Amino acid sequence: MKKLLSLAFLVIMAGGIASAQPRSAAVQNTLIRNATVLTVSHGTLTNTDVLIRNGKIAGIGKGLKAPEGARLIDATGKFVLPGIVDAHSHTMMDGGVNECTRSVTSMARVQDILNPTAIGIYRELAGGTTSALLLHGSCNSIGGLSSTVKLKWGHTAADFPFPGAMPGIKFALGENPKRTNQNNPGVPARYPATRMGVEETIRDAFARARDYKRDWDDYRAAIARGEKNVAPPRRDLELDPLVEVLEGKRYVHSHCYRADEILMLIGVADDFGFKIRTFQHVLEGYKVATEIARHGAGASTFADFWGYKMEAYDAIPYNSAIMVRHGIVVSVNSDSDETARRLNIEAAKMIRFGGLTEEEALKLVTLNPAIQLGIDRRVGTIDLDKDADLAIWSAHPLSVYAHVEQTFIDGELLFDRQADLARRPQLEAERKTLEAADANKPPAQGGGPPRAPSAIRRANAHEDDNQEREDNQR
Amino acid sequence: MKTIERKAAALLAVLVLVPLVQNARAQDTDRTDSQMTNTPAPTYVIRNARIVTVTGADIENGTIVISGGRITAIGATASVPAGATEIDARGLTVYPGMIDVGTNMGLVEVGQGAPGTVDLQELGEMNPNIAAVWSINPHSSHIAVTRVDGVTSVLSMPAGGIISGQAAFINLAGSSPREMAVVPEAALVIQFPRIGGGGGGGGFFQAQQAVTPEAITQRDRRLENIRHMLRDAEAYGRAQDAYRKDPKSVLRPMTDLKLAALVPYARGERPVIFRAERERDIRGAIRLAEEMKLKPIIIGASEGWKMAAFLKEHNVPVILDGVLNLPLREDDAYDSLFENAAKLQAAGVRFCISAGDSGAQVRDLPYHAGMAAAFGLSKTEALKSVTLYPAQIMGVGDSMGSIEQGKIANLVIADGDILEARTNIRYLFINGRQIPLVSRHTMLNDQFKDRK
Amino acid sequence: MQTKYLRFPEALAVAMALACLLVLALHPVGAQRHSGTDTYAITNARIVTVSGPVIEQGTVIIRDGLIAAVGAGITPPPDARIIDGTGLTVYPGIIDASSTLGIPRPSPSPTAGGGGGGGGGFAALFGQNAPSATSPNSTQLPGMQPEILASDIIRPGGTEIEAARNAGITTAQTAPRGNVFLGQSAVINLAGDTPQQMIVRSPVALYIGLAPIGGGQYPGSLMGVFSSVKQALLDARRYREANEIYERNPRGLKRPGQDKSLAALLPVLAGRMPVAMQAEREREVDRALDLAREFNIKLIINGGLEADHVAARLKAMNVPVLLSLNFPKRTAAASPEAEPETLRVLRERVEAPKTAGRLAAAGVRFAFQSGGMTSITDYLTNAAKAVEGGLSHDDAVRALTLGPAEILGVASQLGSIEVGKIANLTITRGDILDRTRRITNVFIDGRPVELRPAATERGAGRPAAPPTPTPEPNDY
Repeated sequence: MKKLLSLAFLVIMAGGIASAQPRSAAVQNTLIRNATVLTVSHGTLTNTDVLIRNGKIAGIGKGLKAPEGARLIDATGKFVLPGIVDAHSHTMMDGGVNECTRSVTSMARVQDILNPTAIGIYRELAGGTTSALLLHGSCNSIGGLSSTVKLKWGHTAADFPFPGAMPGIKFALGENPKRTNQNNPGVPARYPATRMGVEETIRDAFARARDYKRDWDDYRAAIARGEKNVAPPRRDLELDPLVEVLEGKRYVHSHCYRADEILMLIGVADDFGFKIRTFQHVLEGYKVATEIARHGAGASTFADFWGYKMEAYDAIPYNSAIMVRHGIVVSVNSDSDETARRLNIEAAKMIRFGGLTEEEALKLVTLNPAIQLGIDRRVGTIDLDKDADLAIWSAHPLSVYAHVEQTFIDGELLFDRQADLARRPQLEAERKTLEAADANKPPAQGGGPPRAPSAIRRANAHEDDNQEREDNQR
Repeated sequence: MKTIERKAAALLAVLVLVPLVQNARAQDTDRTDSQMTNTPAPTYVIRNARIVTVTGADIENGTIVISGGRITAIGATASVPAGATEIDARGLTVYPGMIDVGTNMGLVEVGQGAPGTVDLQELGEMNPNIAAVWSINPHSSHIAVTRVDGVTSVLSMPAGGIISGQAAFINLAGSSPREMAVVPEAALVIQFPRIGGGGGGGGFFQAQQAVTPEAITQRDRRLENIRHMLRDAEAYGRAQDAYRKDPKSVLRPMTDLKLAALVPYARGERPVIFRAERERDIRGAIRLAEEMKLKPIIIGASEGWKMAAFLKEHNVPVILDGVLNLPLREDDAYDSLFENAAKLQAAGVRFCISAGDSGAQVRDLPYHAGMAAAFGLSKTEALKSVTLYPAQIMGVGDSMGSIEQGKIANLVIADGDILEARTNIRYLFINGRQIPLVSRHTMLNDQFKDRK
Repeated sequence: MQTKYLRFPEALAVAMALACLLVLALHPVGAQRHSGTDTYAITNARIVTVSGPVIEQGTVIIRDGLIAAVGAGITPPPDARIIDGTGLTVYPGIIDASSTLGIPRPSPSPTAGGGGGGGGGFAALFGQNAPSATSPNSTQLPGMQPEILASDIIRPGGTEIEAARNAGITTAQTAPRGNVFLGQSAVINLAGDTPQQMIVRSPVALYIGLAPIGGGQYPGSLMGVFSSVKQALLDARRYREANEIYERNPRGLKRPGQDKSLAALLPVLAGRMPVAMQAEREREVDRALDLAREFNIKLIINGGLEADHVAARLKAMNVPVLLSLNFPKRTAAASPEAEPETLRVLRERVEAPKTAGRLAAAGVRFAFQSGGMTSITDYLTNAAKAVEGGLSHDDAVRALTLGPAEILGVASQLGSIEVGKIANLTITRGDILDRTRRITNVFIDGRPVELRPAATERGAGRPAAPPTPTPEPNDY
């Protein structure tokens, strides 16, 4: 009997442990029936089915047959949109968005600090967002290395980085890297303090990177020649990514606002022979759209957030439309856990401000950011063989009245409004049970002061500008 | 309208608009405004419009006459006075201008990095005599930016301290605060004393205040200070009245501006807006108000839905300015703030929706209401939450908030549902004057959109 | 007629010689002169050897600091001081697999604890992480100096060590405090008048923590912590290569700068010294494992609150866990003003005691540590809770004794009651994991320790430190 119990115990334990491991089990297939499918790539298809099999979009058409064991969703009256891609996010980052202590922190990696349990992930899924570019903050002229992720709620961190996405690095220009809006009595001032210094910091870093690359090229050549007595140059994690930028192997995403600094960075990039992949925020991009287009950069901007800093004072909601009309690949992003839940509305605004068509507006949050991040072969539209990253909406996503019913990533159902509603009483019950457990009872006597409510996280609070607290907390 | 007057009007429009376009960078909406308020209000007739009155049935194909700053006639057909400017609104919808009663409009130009433009909060905890109306910049670029997107009136509140000051109910047109003000000292604003969490936008490392006995004592002391000041104000008011009635025999009381400012609020004649988000604080604010016989309004009320019955029972209206905030707690349902309005409405609580912004994003007001409608609030209620209800809650419901004869002509003519993001505003009227749809944004757009 | 007898003096000499020979026979050549006071016999006791089956009634003989004999039916030597073990149980000395015992506390800094409030988060971590020592002429900032040796800075005695002993602990791994590179640990016995008498093994492991330095110094964020560790390991590799090349033939080469911080990392790179890395949450354990794999270094997980979520990977990479018994505890009083606690925190408190059982079931090696608990009497209490949470009693005892000894490389000296091992014993009335057990005797290095049950609170005699909440890596 004891042996049986031990065996049972082991089986249960093994099962318990297995369920905590990354999912290797097959994901249930799904057939979505009779929806209005906003493909983004080839128009709107009414009364159309979408078949998800083995994590991919396996069928788009009328009257598709469901494979055995597939989940059936009646989407009559509902809309299917590709998962929204947020090209500027700081969700799910542990231990600080910024490494503020130096002007160049290209050694810092967002990939080292992913927090897969951040509740922001789930809330974004509930808003139809499925992928994000997780960026280092804007504390530094050259910041850390970014991570493009799929928001795979419930998975371990290893499952989040988007397979095959181009690596990226964050630059920042203007007020934030020169720290003029921060007031930190204990912290020593850090170069640069002017836009001139921002430019100089970037030039200097790339000049060093160029020399570093030459040193390593020379070293490798010497070894190839058979020389024995050569010591390798120092491998420098700060300069390695900059060499990758020079070699076109790493995308540059640069936070910027003012027209002059946009032109400045284009000049630096041209001098060193690399391309900027996206200008981020780029709120004055409309003033220099011609130059941005000529350089070949994309732009990832706010819909209409403006006026909160001097460098944002000339921002206008027509920014996206003007840049689109100049042939620039434009995306609309959030830079905010809050806004990332409703990028559909941010896209809809761009129809009104500048007259984008419905399809152009939808592209701003689906295909265009996917192109910018180098993941458009896999996501951004509803097309056969693309990843089944999509959401089912209760109404047209460009309507304020729409909400998300279900969200899929790689065909896995990661958000389901009905399931969420059903879970609430269970969670309440669980809370009551947990609070009654011995481990959770307050100490019999004395005890320290409990925590008070924390501050409200308001809408329109953008993380790039919430840096004072990070500097001040030491 | 006679041809010559039409030509004159066109000429006037050209003379006004051309210099505006050339001067894109200046705060130049004042040039528009000064012609708005200092000249006699013209007469307009809007024809062939769909009219959303808000208080009654929609009129599918109707006429509105505006004269002397007011709506003088509405109907399927209405008699049109001579000399009226005609507006053909075929295919368009007329709405009341939207109203946001939770802003700091005009008190902040650039929030970060330009402290000279920030007049949001004064030093000190008790500032009842600080009135926003004296600090609102009528030429702030936020004003035109906001009104061209359909918000025509706001309540602008000071912030900070405990008794922050007095809020002003203003139309978003006028070249001085007095011209803009509908009710210059409309409400007292009190940040209801609470433990924990400073104001502002949070952040990753918000220092967590502990609920220490000291924190509780401090909170209670602040509450007592409020009571104390209100009682003093009440006594002060009586003393002033007695002196006025009989200056010969009653001793002249010393002037106290703070107490003088508080008197109408202490007497329950004007409303007091309490900032309170959590259940405990909302309850505490209402109890304080009832104890001191004030007329309370709660702004914030993130947890209002948990105590809807209480709010209804005590008949306290609520300004919801956090629809798009992140949920208060990690464990809160993802839509807890989206659904707040619908739950309050279902329980019969008086409410309205605000964008809760200092100025730049007040124009997002319709989308806050739209989100509430995506999560349970009916479309008609959502529209009321940004038109009629805020007017009623601020006590101007008989002159604003809907399209009814005799009300102030604050109107917006749009090419679709005004809560939808893709809808365009085609015509704007404030105080019965047509306002050009020109703002800092439109001017910069015009300047750069065709740059090659 | 005359018989040939030894005359008395000669007989005495012979007798004495024989006696000497007898004495020598009984004591190996080279044995020190024993005072007659260092032999003990604990008789008639239940003996839990851990390495073998339990001896229900037996005797342990201690001589000269080592275990001389253990078993049933052993007659104590005549010089032994007898301790009647009737009704008592003898265990190997309990080991605390990770602590800061003996490391002097930094002098209280004015900002410690005052900055971010008492509620956890990085501000609290920073206050606790002020580096224990500064290495002279180092290329690195304090808090980033892997060359710091615990053995160089430990001090004997003190109330913390005394409190630990009173709680039955005889041995601990101890490491300096710091931010990122904390220094190299030592295994010490908790008795002795000099550091040399305490040290059992040094160095043992290089400790790596996760606390940014801050105050404008790099690293100022968790990203920076990881990057600085990786850069240091890369630099150490290069240092080794450059020195090897230079030593072969210095001519024509610029000399590599001397750097003792990088030199201290070489045993880690060579796999001779493990890294003990702070990791509580699942993702932190994964990050530590990723780092170990990238640099092919030996890893020990320090903390392991959610290590059971990563059990398969830990087993596959053969990484042991120093599992903290400082279970998250609710320290806050109830108050109507308080925020409700998050489900995450509530679940964590209930789940924490179950981690050990799950690790055992998954075949992951682990040992218990005190994890910085302020009340060291909770050590055995919480070990008992782990048994309630699913760990077998024997596995729990092992995790307090032979388990840590094996992980810390001192298994030939400590961790079980075997002949030749150091005589560290914890003797109890009642099973060691029983709530009602009493610690009756503690032997360290073969000498009994005076127990003062009243002084079992760590820090007794000094003003009590405020309860330190379990730090959370993120607080938003």
